[in-house]
Amino acid sequence: MQNSDASHRQPAPRVTDAAELRSVARELRRQVIRLVRPTGQGYVQQGLGAADLFAALYFGEMRLDPSDPSWADRDRFLLSTAHNTAIFHATLAARGCIASDTLFSYCKDGSPLEINASERLGPVIEATCGSLGQGLSVGVGMALAARRTGRDFRSYVVLGDGEMQEGQVWEAAMAAGSYGLGNLCLIIDFNEMQVEGHIDQVLKMNPVAEKWESFGFRCETIDGHDFDQIFAALKRSREAVDRPSCIIAKTVPGKGAPSLEGIFGHNIKLPGETAERALQELDAGEFA
Amino acid sequence: MSSTTAVMSDDLMVNDFITRGAAGPVPRLYGDALVVAARADERIMCLCADLAGATETDAFRDALPDRFVHTGIAEANMIGMAGGMARCGLVPFVHSFSVFATRRCYDQIAMQVAYPRLPVKIVGFLPGLTTLLGVSHQAIDDIALMRALPNMTVIEPEGPRQMRAAVEAALAVDGPVYLRMKRPDAGYHDDGEGSPLLPGQAEILREGTDGTIVACGLMVEAALEAATILEREGASVGVLNMATIKPLDRGTLLHMARRAPVIVTAENHSIVGGLGSAVAETLLEAGVSVGFARVGLADTFAEGGSTPYLLKKFGMTADDIAAKFRAAAGRSS
Repeated sequence: MQNSDASHRQPAPRVTDAAELRSVARELRRQVIRLVRPTGQGYVQQGLGAADLFAALYFGEMRLDPSDPSWADRDRFLLSTAHNTAIFHATLAARGCIASDTLFSYCKDGSPLEINASERLGPVIEATCGSLGQGLSVGVGMALAARRTGRDFRSYVVLGDGEMQEGQVWEAAMAAGSYGLGNLCLIIDFNEMQVEGHIDQVLKMNPVAEKWESFGFRCETIDGHDFDQIFAALKRSREAVDRPSCIIAKTVPGKGAPSLEGIFGHNIKLPGETAERALQELDAGEFA
Repeated sequence: MSSTTAVMSDDLMVNDFITRGAAGPVPRLYGDALVVAARADERIMCLCADLAGATETDAFRDALPDRFVHTGIAEANMIGMAGGMARCGLVPFVHSFSVFATRRCYDQIAMQVAYPRLPVKIVGFLPGLTTLLGVSHQAIDDIALMRALPNMTVIEPEGPRQMRAAVEAALAVDGPVYLRMKRPDAGYHDDGEGSPLLPGQAEILREGTDGTIVACGLMVEAALEAATILEREGASVGVLNMATIKPLDRGTLLHMARRAPVIVTAENHSIVGGLGSAVAETLLEAGVSVGFARVGLADTFAEGGSTPYLLKKFGMTADDIAAKFRAAAGRSS
């Protein structure tokens, strides 16, 4: 099979300076509000909560070339829940992976920028997920394919915490652990929220870290808003070559806009004045 | 000590028991063909949900271990992994019993295989009424389920003679394929060659001027027998092997139907959503009016049993096909 050409091809430059990334993430959060405001569609709280993870992955961690989204040696990224697209699409545009001027067709009829990310958008969407529980399986298959074809790309899968209730997640976990996939990095966006409220009110899932460890993952729990912690965990994941990693990233829904922070709303509407207030808070906030 | 006791020693391996349990040697037509294809095409991977012997993939497991993936008894994950592999340039063949390879992981197939039109080949064994195991293991709606998915090709070889060619047929289709396979019966004599299976092309096995039986899978043999029964009564009945159920060979079907406007379908599957439905839809939409009947499981679950017993009990023998033909043609025997 073909071998990697990653050694003689430069990926997009990476940003790993925490102050610079905070600035990137603040702008991504602003975009989340701007994208959701016109139609009231899209997932605000989750987008604000995951902004730091998306900034870290797309600007600092992953090997990618925005001018060639099909580059065979790119790292693979799968957003298994698929619905957290206000932040996902904003990040893709900010990184140059999709044209910024397409962003504002988000959630409008005919647009490939759907609420659930689909491959209608092109190869930047590595698989059409959103039917919960499937993304990790696809990531495991990609990691196996990398091993088989002698390529050194990595699979990054972002899973929702409520999504862990899907049985297929644990089938995939068992497989990843069994195959010792050091090229697989799972990040759980642990915001403790699902449609019906707090995850523990719906179905108790603790202890989570111990579950992943028992399935053969190297697991650690971090503050999903602290870039130093995020990068340290991603580095340790790369260094664990003989087993998959699980990073439980604790995130706060609505993070960055104090009026929205901590509100457990799976699919909240954002009236104009609320959106305006959130934008002002983001401008004036701790990251300004 | 008797000699029997001496045999029951440490030298016995688990395979001795498996061999003894079998009714006789069964040729591994599909499995060997997959190994041949994989040696020629290094993109091919073999995934199996803990049924290597029953899906004939034990040869692949032993010959090409780096390309064989034990998925464990986890079909949903198997399909997802296959999708991920196919997106990275590989051609995964995934294996289980038909019922678990389709119904159990339907959403995964829809989203990770059919929608993205990936070259994942889903290979199921134990179609329809071919198992003693009972209703849990009988795939009676797999053709219907797979046929309902956009982008999916559905192929059921007529029998052992087309099993080798099924591998080539699956590879010839640039996209997802469901192969519905039945292992040869014990003692089947293999001539080492087999017949071609061209995707999307029906095979006219017998010409007839009074009507046609359109069949797939093991019902092709019954259809030929039925045609012989009817011939003795003075009816000239053709037989069409519709090995590709989707896309259906519309041209050949309509040609036969226009020439002799009696069509009876025969499938080892529910009459709902399978070959019979596909043929009826095609004929009606083409405005071809025929005497028509479907032979298959009549919208009912079945039960465990030997195949001849079950086919008789559920009205799927050559005699049943002949009776349906007479009714559709308005003839009395």
